[in-house]
Parts: sequence; structure tokens; C-alpha cells
Amino acid sequence: MMMEKVATDYVELRFGPRWTYISSVRKFVANFFMIGLADKERAECISMAASELLENAVKYASEDEGYLKITIAKGEHEVDVCVKNKAEPHHINTLRRELALIHAGQPEQVYLRKMEEAAMTEGQSRLGLARIRYEARAQLRLEVNDGEVSIHAIFDLEQA
Amino acid sequence: MSSQLVPLNAEGVSIVPRVENGMLQVKVAGAVEMREPGDVLNPYWIALDEEALRRHITRVEVDLRDLNFMNSSGILTLVRWITRAKGHAAGAGYTLVLKYDRNVTWQRTSVPTLAKLAPNVVVAAEIDG
Repeated sequence: MMMEKVATDYVELRFGPRWTYISSVRKFVANFFMIGLADKERAECISMAASELLENAVKYASEDEGYLKITIAKGEHEVDVCVKNKAEPHHINTLRRELALIHAGQPEQVYLRKMEEAAMTEGQSRLGLARIRYEARAQLRLEVNDGEVSIHAIFDLEQA
Repeated sequence: MSSQLVPLNAEGVSIVPRVENGMLQVKVAGAVEMREPGDVLNPYWIALDEEALRRHITRVEVDLRDLNFMNSSGILTLVRWITRAKGHAAGAGYTLVLKYDRNVTWQRTSVPTLAKLAPNVVVAAEIDG
């Protein structure tokens, strides 16, 4: 039997969209990458991003096809945190709009603006993606394929 | 007198307020990872804000050093408190000091950002440990 070769610093988890799992995944990812990267701050930024992406995915996952998949892969120059789930079309459209807004400015300005806007409205914070981009200095990328959403937070390992 | 300064314990986070030397000190510990932290924290911060005003307290110190994580919904509750504090009339409000540990990544990245929302009202106080 042929086994696919897996990079050393690679995590893949698949589970049902339950809020209570997120904390466990965050702590596991932080501990795992503290070993792989030997960089506590980077590991904690990666685990924060994983946690925020998972929180979004649990909130907006399709009720009919409930699963989440998170993969975290370390390459030579970057770490890619990807959370994948099925979502309803209107949630996907909301996510596209959110990402467009988040990318329409400098990370700090956008994050502060999102905070001010969120403080004036009721409901969800919608701060998670802006927080990842500013605080964790990650690039965000969205892919949609047949109702399955993949959102990536990409960390440049060469960035100071 | 201290009816509005009761501790809070909820889903992994504990908050203990006390008044000492005319200052309101609020110690926060644990982690804020719940799905809707605003349900618990927004009314609690409002109660502290009202009590600080009622007692004419001019300095409120929130010690976050033992809070090992806060999700973005939890951060929003602090944003709402800051927004509220910013709205108090000059001379009637208080300085909100957010004490954080520079060795805890989320605190070092989040707390100074929060202070930028209201630089005349909020002070981010960095402490080593």
C-alpha cells in the first residue's frame, strides 16, 4: 500500500461543528507549533488564527452538512492555516464582502474601524478576520468550491 | 455599598473587583472563549462603569495578566466598555488602565490596540510578568 508522505509540521483535524472543541484545538495547535517552530509568539499567533477561523466556521457552518476540517501545514517559507466547511450561499456572500472590506485598507486602520463599527451595533463581532490580519500579520485568502468554503490564514516565516 | 462590586465566575473566566485607595481594581483570570461572551460580560462591565461613576472613582485598573486568552467576541466587550467610558463628560469619568503582561502574546498584541480607540481615556500598562 502506498502511503502519502506527510510534511513533519502538519496537522489535519476533522470534527463536527461544536463550539466546545475549539479551545482544545487552539491549545493543541499552540503546543504543536511551539515544538515545530521553536517560536512561542508565532505559535500563539497561529493558534489564535486557527481559533478565530474555527469560531467563524462553527457560527456559519451548514446545518445539513456539519463538519469542519482544519489543516495547518508548515512549508519552507510559510505556515498555511486552512479551515474548510460547507456553508449556505448567503453566508458565503457575507464572507466575500467581509474579506473585501478587510482588504480595503491598512490592517491596523481596518481593525480599529471594525472595532468602532462593532461597538455601535448589536450581534456578532465580525472582528476575527481583521484581528488575524492585523495582530497575527497573516494574509487571508478565500476559496469556494461547490458550497465548500476554505479560508486560509498564511503566515510568512521570513517576516520579522 | 458594594452590591454592584460582586465577583463573576462564568465559563472559564473569573473577575474580582475591589475598591482600594479610591481606585477600582478589577482582576480578570482564566480564558474568554465562550460563544457569546457579551451576554455575560457586557452587563458586568456596565455595572462596574456605573459603580465607578456613582463612587466618583477616577481610576479603574483592569488587570488582564492572568487572562490567558480572549476571543474576538470577548475583545468586543472591552471595546464596548471603552466606548462607554469615552462618552462620559469631561471630569465626570475615569481613566481606564488595562494592565497586561508583555510575555503573553494575545495581550501584547490586543491591549495596546484597544488603547488606541480612546487615547485620552484608556492607558495600556505593560508589565513584565
